Amino acid sequence: MNQKPRFGLYALVTLSVVISFFPIVWLILTSFKNTAGIYAWPPQYWPDPFTLENYISIFTNSPELLRYILNSFIVGVGTTAITLLLGGLSAYALSRLGMRFAGVLMVGILAVSMFPPVSLLPSLFQNFLNFGLLNTYTGLILAHAGLFLPFTVWMLASYFATLPVEIEEAARMDGMGFLRIFLTIVLPLSWPGFVATGLIVFIFSWNEFPLALVLMTQNAMRTAPVGISLYPGEYAFPWETISTATVLAIIPVLVITAIFQKQIVGGLTAGAGK
Amino acid sequence: MASVTLNQIGKAYGAVTAVEQFDLEIADGEFLVLLGPSGCGKSTTLRMIAGLESITHGDLMIGGKRVNDIDPKDRGVAMVFQNYALYPHKSVFDNMAMALKLQKMPKAEIAERVNGVADMLGLTPYLERKPAALSGGQRQRVAIGRAIVRTPEVFLFDEPLSNLDAKLRVKMRMELQELHGRMGVTSIYVTHDQVEAMTLADRIVILNGGKVAQIGTPREVYDHPATEFVAGFIGSPAMNFMSGRRTGDHWQIIDSDLVLHATERLQSTDPALTLGVRPEHLEVFAPEDAPEGPWVFDAKVKLAELLGADALLNLSVMGQPMLARVGGTDFPLAGQSVRVRIDPARLHAFHPKTGLSIHSEAKQ
Amino acid sequence: MNRTMNLEQRTALTGIGFVTPTVIIIALILIYPIIQSVVLSFGQSSIDGSEPYHFVGLQHYAKLMGDSQFWNALGVTFTFTALSIPLELALGIGLALLMNESFKGKGLARLAILFPWALPTALNTLIWRWMYNSDYGLFNAVALQSGLADRPINFLGDTSLAMGSMVVVAVWKTSSFMALIILAGLQSIPKDLFEAGRMDGMTKWQEFRQITLPLLKGPILVALIIRSMDALRTFELPFNLTDGGPVNATESLSLYAYKVIFDFLDFNFGAAVVVVQFLVIFAMSLIYVIALRNKD
Repeated sequence: MNQKPRFGLYALVTLSVVISFFPIVWLILTSFKNTAGIYAWPPQYWPDPFTLENYISIFTNSPELLRYILNSFIVGVGTTAITLLLGGLSAYALSRLGMRFAGVLMVGILAVSMFPPVSLLPSLFQNFLNFGLLNTYTGLILAHAGLFLPFTVWMLASYFATLPVEIEEAARMDGMGFLRIFLTIVLPLSWPGFVATGLIVFIFSWNEFPLALVLMTQNAMRTAPVGISLYPGEYAFPWETISTATVLAIIPVLVITAIFQKQIVGGLTAGAGK
Repeated sequence: MASVTLNQIGKAYGAVTAVEQFDLEIADGEFLVLLGPSGCGKSTTLRMIAGLESITHGDLMIGGKRVNDIDPKDRGVAMVFQNYALYPHKSVFDNMAMALKLQKMPKAEIAERVNGVADMLGLTPYLERKPAALSGGQRQRVAIGRAIVRTPEVFLFDEPLSNLDAKLRVKMRMELQELHGRMGVTSIYVTHDQVEAMTLADRIVILNGGKVAQIGTPREVYDHPATEFVAGFIGSPAMNFMSGRRTGDHWQIIDSDLVLHATERLQSTDPALTLGVRPEHLEVFAPEDAPEGPWVFDAKVKLAELLGADALLNLSVMGQPMLARVGGTDFPLAGQSVRVRIDPARLHAFHPKTGLSIHSEAKQ
Repeated sequence: MNRTMNLEQRTALTGIGFVTPTVIIIALILIYPIIQSVVLSFGQSSIDGSEPYHFVGLQHYAKLMGDSQFWNALGVTFTFTALSIPLELALGIGLALLMNESFKGKGLARLAILFPWALPTALNTLIWRWMYNSDYGLFNAVALQSGLADRPINFLGDTSLAMGSMVVVAVWKTSSFMALIILAGLQSIPKDLFEAGRMDGMTKWQEFRQITLPLLKGPILVALIIRSMDALRTFELPFNLTDGGPVNATESLSLYAYKVIFDFLDFNFGAAVVVVQFLVIFAMSLIYVIALRNKD
């Protein structure tokens, strides 16, 4: 239909893609340079020599960087599991069980999700200290669950709204209780919603900084963003190690985003549309 | 099997009344239809009986037992939903077996029952399929089969045919009729389709705006509509209505030259009445063939529409617009002058304010 | 189940059971700490309980009002928000319009644009800090080699440049998020509206002004709310990019609060800071809620 030359369009698209992507490309290139290459003048645009020594060095000399990634993974998975289960139950109750204060509760949940995380720090740090939750996975998972449950409830409630309620009613007529309906009917039928929400919550948890910084004070318990940010260098920031660790720490997010792009975008925009 | 008693049943959401309290006695084995336009409260009533909606007023008895606060599964009722409500992730067999599994029935017995019902409904070849792989009619059969396997005391149907196309609807309607004849289980059926109601029902409950307008057999609601609403809702095309003002022993039809003699049937102390006559109760003659009499009037054909077997004539009967239904073979065309006979025994009359029939009033 | 309760009450009870764990966690992690911060901010105590809490009234707030570093942090936060949000919005609308066109490789393009948002801000910031580096950074290399600059530019160390450098990182990271929300709004506009517009003889620009923009009001407002809440509480961006420097030129309210609490271990004064920050954000969200109410 429209056969106009689309050069301008493609130029703009290319520009956007390049701007979005070049810092990540530059990071990856840096991770393949040797120390001399990183601090060379004029700078190397392409690694010369192209080397894997930074990656090998991380595995042999800086295992704590791998520990950070493992920590992030444990916290992310734990947070996702808890928020999906509890948030799913809540969203189901609030959207389907005709609770009298459901509307008020939903708005309240939305309101508290706007609290600035830093406002929580003095109190959370003190309480976690007193209850022995500092430097524990349980502690940070609990904190992240608190931060991301509001989002989960809203996302899943808006997903449930798209399911025909009659199937659940048929299940009641068949003799199921609400918990069984949730587990055997609602969960399997809304798995795309759970997948999208779960992925986003995992990314949120992986990326979260202030609480992870304050509630995990021991080096061995730090999550990837915090651990890498605080990684001690002898003189200045050891960029060869940092860039390599950063690449490793963002790979999970890159992979998840790439594979589940549709679900994540759909989930985010649906969540924001509410 | 069981009778169902609604004793001053009503539903209110806070201050808003969804269904005004009413009494209804449904006999064992009866096929009862709840009929009305959308939002009239018919589905709410059915859902109260099912236990999906709480009852705010009155008592619901099934088989003589009060079930207001009993879970849906323990009421001995099974329901067929409008959009089938099949579990999309389970096979046809599992869909039909679910309630029995939850009752912890032995596997062999479940299989025997499900297979028996599947056989009866012609679903045997599809038992392993998922609902998505079925046609609309097959899905509806599964939904019905799921209700049958439970051998409930009462069947509840919530507009079960309205998602089917017209042809299939007629076929399924007859199957339902046959099924009810065979099983004889008390059935409560919600629909907005008067044809379904007339053909299936032993008795019809017509609801309007959350209020029961009339309860009666199909013949009663057609021949003796209790209110203007029922008169207009039952019958297609709808009844012709006209406003009459009393002048001596005649009813002068407003905005026309039509004057109707106030027969014994049309006696009322009201100064004004709403009069009604069904299109099929008007007889249309060519002027030269017309009989003489006080109930024969001059009319003009404004528009003639052939439906097939029948034709619809848009008439102006001495200035009063009326629709007549006549045979489809030899009917007058637009522009022609005709004579119209109104059968006085078929004239209905309603109080303009209350909408109540003056005849039913006289009977009471 | 208790047979004396009616159906509705039993359902409600189940619902309460389902909601309770979530409400408890949210109360413990989000609500109680705010209340505790308010209590802390009106008293003096020690973290480990060795010094019992005693009430000191508005003492910490009085100190806060006289603290120039607090006012600086407030100013930095507002400047950062006021600079980055309009840029993000403009770029977001542009990107959304671009992504709403059909072209080859759209999926890949959308993915590339999504990446900056999906990655941890803390690590994104490190990447940019490396590129901004005045000795070995990419930007200076390009600038010097191309002759655009004759000596290294101190992007992060120069008080007049640091804020701009920080805004660039924020805009780079979050324009894509704006774009996604606006794009979803764009795609929900019925196509026949544009066809009707074309029949009425609208130009592309008139189409945008008369149809697109008015119908995007809702999504744009939502995107603005989410983003300004984020910008007002920005923490790891200055933490990792400049640590608030040079001379506090990029010290956001969150970073200032963090430093008071964890560098100086002054929890009571720090609590006063976070309470004020909380009130600022609360006030902003109220303004937005009113704006949303009035949009229809």
